[in-house]
Amino acid sequence: MTGAKRIDREAGRAYWFMSLPAFVIYIVVMAFPIGLSIVLSLSDYSGGKMFGGEAWHIVGFDHYLRAIQDPWFWNALKNNFYIVLISVFGQLPLGFIFAYIIYRRIVKWPGFWQGILYVPNIISIIVVGLLWQSIFSPSGPIAQVVNDLSTNRFHQQLVAIIGSQGHLNLSDSAIQAVLKLGGPDAPNMFANPIPDLRGMIQAYPSNQYGVLITDLTNLLLQKWTPTFLNKPNIAMLPVLFVILWMYTGMYLILFLANMQKIDTQVIESARIDGANEGQVMRHIILPALSGTMVNSAILAISGSLSSFALIFALTGGGPSRITEILSIYMYNSAFLGQHDFPLANAIALITVIISMLLIVVTKVFESRYGGKED
Amino acid sequence: MKKVIIALMMVAVTFGAMAQVSLNVLNYQQADQAGYQEDVQIWQDFQTQNPDIKLNMEVLFNDPYHQKLQAYAAAGTLPDVFYVWPGARSAVIHEKHLAKDLTKLLGTEYLSHFTGAATNPKNELGGYLAELPQSFTYTSVMYVNKKAFTDNGLKVPTTYADLRAAVPRLKAKGIAVMMLPNKDGWPGQSCFFSTVAGRMVGDKFFNDVLAGKAKFTDKPFVDALKVVENFYKDGIIQRTDNAIGYGEGPGLFAQGKAAIILDGDWRTGAYITDKASGKALISPDDQHNYALMNLVALPGEKFPGVASAVAGTGWAIADSLQAGPKLDAAVKLIKYLYSPEVQAIRWGTGAYVPTRTDVKPPAGLEPLPSLLPAFYAENSKTCYVIDGINGLDPTVATAINNGIVDIGNNAKDAVQVAKDVEAAFEAAKK
Repeated sequence: MTGAKRIDREAGRAYWFMSLPAFVIYIVVMAFPIGLSIVLSLSDYSGGKMFGGEAWHIVGFDHYLRAIQDPWFWNALKNNFYIVLISVFGQLPLGFIFAYIIYRRIVKWPGFWQGILYVPNIISIIVVGLLWQSIFSPSGPIAQVVNDLSTNRFHQQLVAIIGSQGHLNLSDSAIQAVLKLGGPDAPNMFANPIPDLRGMIQAYPSNQYGVLITDLTNLLLQKWTPTFLNKPNIAMLPVLFVILWMYTGMYLILFLANMQKIDTQVIESARIDGANEGQVMRHIILPALSGTMVNSAILAISGSLSSFALIFALTGGGPSRITEILSIYMYNSAFLGQHDFPLANAIALITVIISMLLIVVTKVFESRYGGKED
Repeated sequence: MKKVIIALMMVAVTFGAMAQVSLNVLNYQQADQAGYQEDVQIWQDFQTQNPDIKLNMEVLFNDPYHQKLQAYAAAGTLPDVFYVWPGARSAVIHEKHLAKDLTKLLGTEYLSHFTGAATNPKNELGGYLAELPQSFTYTSVMYVNKKAFTDNGLKVPTTYADLRAAVPRLKAKGIAVMMLPNKDGWPGQSCFFSTVAGRMVGDKFFNDVLAGKAKFTDKPFVDALKVVENFYKDGIIQRTDNAIGYGEGPGLFAQGKAAIILDGDWRTGAYITDKASGKALISPDDQHNYALMNLVALPGEKFPGVASAVAGTGWAIADSLQAGPKLDAAVKLIKYLYSPEVQAIRWGTGAYVPTRTDVKPPAGLEPLPSLLPAFYAENSKTCYVIDGINGLDPTVATAINNGIVDIGNNAKDAVQVAKDVEAAFEAAKK
């Protein structure tokens, strides 16, 4: 045996010795679950002991078909695409712009801004979800401020109507005007709106005029609540805003770190040669960061399609499923009501396929239009 | 000599270990609610009284419990003793027969101590007694703050007209007439609409739907949904309740934000004194101002007075346990958990009124849970809880849950929701 061969064999043994544990762990923790997921998505497994229990069979692509025939699948997919869009065309450009501003020191205290923008990333996702949920809730701070303002205005309107005639001698038209303030549903509260409301108002003695105004405000003021957030298409807006708020800082850090690798002399030379900030960004920074951008886009796409916790904590997919995304649709299929593991796995694999397609599109786009980093 | 002593000790330890039976238990327990301390004590007492049985406890609550149970079922490693729902929530246990038939295991003599409804196998999804229901649960109960009505010159409502009449006076004082915290979707169906449907269309309608003789788009069902519409339209239930989580309801009700809250009978425990903190959402003295009532009479109802009810949750033993010391230990544990003493403690925490008939009412029971037996006696006519109807796919119940939310949000009307429910039913049939 020659020395070279012996070294090769020793190197081979060392290679396997060092890589085998990782390879085994990969097979057990990654490859096996993926394989099982594919098999389950094609099966009629209906729960219970998976191996050695009731027999189950491969039934083909039935569950994939079921998924794509379900209108809720398309609703979830549409919501996922909104998230992909806000991630790729919201977080990335914003992250880049913020990184550029900080890198070029266009603002004072760049370190401070970098920290502020990154903070949402280090807060627990569940905390963020609950925080924004309370902000958008009907008793949250936004609704409270709006309602405080409208209560004052309502008070004044009531006083203007009632005060001029005195509450014991209100005319029909004045009662009608009070009812009108309460909006279209106000008459529903009374069997005979005008006599009933008059009776109610006149039951207050003269010395309780203030109480009357407060009570009428409680009764008739249509409190503002963010009910528009319950409407399809609009319900996703606060979710998208929170996603933008939370993750932009992460891309800022990614871009900033890569910008700091660019030779500053190149930028200074360009500036000496008369290039303005826009030209520096377009002709030096952007081409140098095209690879980072593609990687960030891949991160954003795969993260968007697999996101779960934030929306689960924020809306739970509600109201009545309109903010459901694929991962929540999958979770509900697997764990709520009658557990449907094959459908859940089919949804998971469709998500993976869509994710891969989007990544391929991104790579093609980069190879065609991207710049060179080196 | 030393060696002999060590050898003897080793033998003693070995025999001691051999004599002790280990039981894996998956317990369903909420640590932040009144009754937790008593529940922990129940388990500790069993362990103290039975040194020959070692309990390996795993404690979970809400969805994580169900997911873990499902995962154990899939892996074929179910714990020896676990907690089970009678319907779709624990479907895999019933359908795959993963729990022992307690009728056979415990025997008719033992089960004669329980109510007929609890031991009727037809009340469980698999058609056999996979779990022994600790309670028979009424899912839609009006918790009424009587004082809120009387203080405002109103009588405690018994009809829809009474509720409507209360709207202006209570709303003027900043009090909602009725609260239905429905952010989670299911309370609207389970704690409200099941009884509305029971009153308006009756159980037969659902049987007819399952038999293909009726549709959810039929007028009677649409009319039942219109009743829900009216509760919101007339201002009895606030549309904003759809943004209130199920867990937030009791706190808001106890603060006086609403004169009535719709909830299940299991919630009396949320209001009584927590032994750990000594605090109660409603103090025992104030609990006298509250009543538990059936839903008010509805206009056009065909089945007056019915209330939605279903067999409750209970303990099960894994079907895989073979005859032997382990199974004996599991049976011993089950019998302990269903003993009159333990059931009396659970009753005292307001968790439920036991289905075991020889349980004496616990001493010092607070006023609110002590109202339950009378409530059951006065409301013996029951109807389906929709998400517990055997044979009705859970996706249909989900469509109803969503539909009630949509009606509450004024996003859809009764006709549209009926169409959605029928579509879900047709899809499930395929």
